[in-house]
Amino acid sequence: MIGLDVILQAGLSGLFMGSVYALIAIGFTLVFGVTNIVNFAHGNFVMAAMFVTYLLFKTAHVDPYLGLVVVLPLFFGFGALVYALVIRRIVDAPHSAHMMVTLGLLIFLENLANLFFGGDLRGITTSYTTSSLVVGAVSVPIARLGAAAVSLAAVVALALVLHRTSLGKAIRAAANNPEGAALVGIDVGRVYRIAFSLGTAAAALAGAVVMPFSLVSPFVGGEFILKAFVIAVLGGLGSVAGALIGGLLIGLVEALSSLYISASLGNAIVFAILIAVLLYRPWGILGQARV
Amino acid sequence: MTLAVAGLAIALVLPVAAGPHLLTATIVALHAAFMALAWNVAAGYAGQFSLGHSLFYGIGAYASTVLYVRLGLTPWAGMFVGALLAGVVGTLLALGVYRYKVHGIFFALVTLGAAEVAKGIADNWAFIKGPVGILLTMQHAPRDFFFLRREPYYYVALVMLVVMILVSLALERSRFGQFFLAVREDEQAAEASGVDTYRYKTVAIGLSAALTAFAGSFYAQFYLYISPDTVLVFEPQLTMMLGTMVGGAGTAFGPVIGSILFSGLGEALRNLPFLEGTRQVVIGSKMVYAVLLIVVLIYLPGGLVTLGQKRA
Amino acid sequence: MAALLDVQSVAKAFGGLQALSSVSFTVGAGEIVGIIGPNGAGKTTLFNVVTGVYPPDRGRVVFHGEDVTGAAPHRVCKLGAARTFQVSKPFAALTVLQTVRIGALNRIPDMAGATRKALEVLELMGLAAKRDEPGRALTVMERKRLEMARALATQPSLLLLDEVAAGLRPNEIQDMIALVRGIAAGGVSVLIIEHVLEAVLRLSGRIVVLNHGEVIAQGRPDELVNDPRVIDAYLGEAYSLA
Repeated sequence: MIGLDVILQAGLSGLFMGSVYALIAIGFTLVFGVTNIVNFAHGNFVMAAMFVTYLLFKTAHVDPYLGLVVVLPLFFGFGALVYALVIRRIVDAPHSAHMMVTLGLLIFLENLANLFFGGDLRGITTSYTTSSLVVGAVSVPIARLGAAAVSLAAVVALALVLHRTSLGKAIRAAANNPEGAALVGIDVGRVYRIAFSLGTAAAALAGAVVMPFSLVSPFVGGEFILKAFVIAVLGGLGSVAGALIGGLLIGLVEALSSLYISASLGNAIVFAILIAVLLYRPWGILGQARV
Repeated sequence: MTLAVAGLAIALVLPVAAGPHLLTATIVALHAAFMALAWNVAAGYAGQFSLGHSLFYGIGAYASTVLYVRLGLTPWAGMFVGALLAGVVGTLLALGVYRYKVHGIFFALVTLGAAEVAKGIADNWAFIKGPVGILLTMQHAPRDFFFLRREPYYYVALVMLVVMILVSLALERSRFGQFFLAVREDEQAAEASGVDTYRYKTVAIGLSAALTAFAGSFYAQFYLYISPDTVLVFEPQLTMMLGTMVGGAGTAFGPVIGSILFSGLGEALRNLPFLEGTRQVVIGSKMVYAVLLIVVLIYLPGGLVTLGQKRA
Repeated sequence: MAALLDVQSVAKAFGGLQALSSVSFTVGAGEIVGIIGPNGAGKTTLFNVVTGVYPPDRGRVVFHGEDVTGAAPHRVCKLGAARTFQVSKPFAALTVLQTVRIGALNRIPDMAGATRKALEVLELMGLAAKRDEPGRALTVMERKRLEMARALATQPSLLLLDEVAAGLRPNEIQDMIALVRGIAAGGVSVLIIEHVLEAVLRLSGRIVVLNHGEVIAQGRPDELVNDPRVIDAYLGEAYSLA
C-alpha cells in the first residue's frame, strides 16, 4: 500500500510539472487557434530555450530566471523570424503541408542542437537545484515550485493580454474569423506573426524554468510536443483555459500513475485518453461542440 | 517508360559494380521507397494522412520474427502472416475511427496515438521480450530469409519495390484507385456520386497497413535486431512521409524518387570513407535535408515529380 | 401511381434554428418540380436531408417506395437520386473525364464501360474538349456543367439541381433551360432549386414554395404567380412572364 504522504508528494510534483506543461501547451494551442497551424516543432522550441539557458549558465553563470531577460525577447524574435521565413508561406496550404513543414523545422532544430552540443544529456546545478521547503509531510522542491509559479504567472499574463488589450482583441478576432477581421482593418498577417511569436516565447519560458531541475539533449523535443498535443486536444484546441486545465490534469495523471505503473505504460494510457477524446469529444473539455 | 526500363536495367546489374557501402545505401533506398509507396496508398491516393504507420511496420517486424523464433516458421511465410495481421488491425482501427468522422489533424493525431499506445504495450509485453527486443542470428539460411552476403537482400528489396510500383500503377488505373482519389479530393462530392467513402477509406488504410508490414519484416531480416525502440518509434513513419511528400504524393514514382534522394543518399553519406568530420557531415546533411523538405513543400507542393511540368 | 420521391413531414433544426418544419411534397416520375423561396428558406437543407447528408429530426423520405430516411448519401445515389451542389465541388486535381467517370462507376463496374459512359455524358454537356483539364482549371460555368455531368453519369432516375442557373447570362439561361428539358425528356425526373425565376417558372410542371422552412404554397407556375402568399413572401411586386 502506498502511503498518503507519497501520494500527496507525487500529486504536488504532478501539479508543478503540470503547470509547465500547461504553459507549453498554451503556446501550442494559441498558435493553432489563431493560425490553424499545428506546429510540430513547438517542443523543439522548448529544447532550444533549454540549451540557451544552459549556455548562459555554463559560460556566464547567469541564473535561468535572470537569463529570461535574454531568452524571452530572443525567442519572441526567433518566432517572428520563423513565421516570416516559413510559416507565413504555408498558412493557406493543406494540413498535410503544415505537418510536413513543421516536421522539417523539428528535424532542423534537432540536428542543429546535435551539431553544437552533441547527443548527450546535459544539466545545470544552480544553488537551488536540490533545495526544498518542508511543509508538513511533503517536501516542496524550490526549483519546481519556481517553475510552476512562473508558468502560471505567464498563463495569467497571456490571458490578460488576450482579454484586456486591443492586441488581444485583434488576436481573438483573427482567430475567430480572419476574413471578417481583415475587413475591419486588422492586419491579420501581423496578428498571426505575433501569435506565433507569443507561442514561441511561451515555449521558451517553459524551457528556461525547467532547466534547473531537468536534463536537456537535442532529442527531448519529442516528449514535449507529444504532451502538448494531448493537453491541447484534451482542453480543446484553441482554448487557453482548456490547455491550463489539461496541463494540470496530465501532470497529475503522469505523476500519480508513475507510482503504480511503468512510465511507458503510463504513456500508453495517456495516448489512449487522447484517442478517446478525439473520437468522442474532439472539441475537448472547454471547447464547444460544432454541428 | 524508357526511363523506368533503363533504371531497372541499371538496378539489376548494380551489385556487380557497387562496393559494400553503396550496396547498403541502395538497399536502404529500396526499402525506404517500398514503405513510402505503402504509406502513399493511404495518404497519397486516398488522402488519409496517417501519422501512425509505425504501428503496422512494427506488426510486420514482430510477427515474422516472433513466428520464426518461437515456431520456426520461415519469415518468407511469416511476412505474409504479418501483413495479414497488420491489415486486420488497420481495418479494425479504421472501422472504429471513421465511424466518428475524424478528419485532418484529428485523424493524424488518432493514428499517432495508436502507434504510441502500441509502443507502450510492446515495451511491457514479456512475450515479445519488451524493451529488450529480439536478436536474430546472422546465418546462411536462404529458406528462412537469412543471407550472409548483401547481394541477396538487395535483390529481394528490388523485387519488392518493383512489385510495389506495379501494384501502385494498377491501383491508379483501377476502380478502387479512382474511388480513393475521389475520397481524397472531396468526400462529400464523392458520397453524392455513389462512392461509399467509409468503406473505401477503411480499405485504403487496411491495404496500406498490410503493405507496410512487409517492409517491417524485411527490416527484421536485414538488420537482425528489432525492439520497440527501433520499429515502433516515429523513425519509420518519418522515412515514409519524407520520401512520399518530397517526391510527390499520389504518384507511383514520386515516393521512389523522394526515398532515393532522402534515405539512399543519407545512408551513403553516413558511410563515407573519410573518418574525421563524418559526424558533422551526417548531421549537417540532415539539416540540409530539413531545409530541402521545407523548400520543396512550399514551392513545389506536388513534390519533386512535378519538376518540369508546365502547370503551376 | 406511387410517387418517385415522397417527402413526408420532414423537420430539421440546427441548434436553435428550425431550418425545416414539417415539409411535405412529392415528385412523380417524369416530372420537373421546382423549389423556390427566399434565401434561408431551407431549400439546400431540404436537398441535404433528401440525399442523406444528414437525417431529419422528424419525418420520412421515401424514394422508389423505399424508406431512405437518414441513409448514407452514396446509398441514396445508388438508388437513383443524384444531386449537384450550390457551390460546385469539382475534384480539383482530377481531370474532367476522371471526375465524370467516377459518377459513371456508380452503375458501371468496369473501367472501360465507365469511360465510355463518361465520354458520352461529356459530349451531351459540351465538355468533351475539356476532358483532360483538371477540375481546378475550369471556369465557374464549366464547373456547373461538370457538376451536372458527374450527377448525370450516375444514371439517376431523379436529378436534384441546386441553383444551376445562378450567375448565368440571359443566353446561358436559355441554354440551361434547354439542357434540363433535354435531360427530363430522356426519362430523368428533376427536382430543381432555383432563384432565377424565369428558369424555374419555364421548366417546372409544379412548384413548391418554401419560406422559413415551411411549405407555404404548391401548384402550377401560373397558379402561384398570382398567389398573394407567394408574392408576399418572395416575389415582392407582381411578376409577369414576359
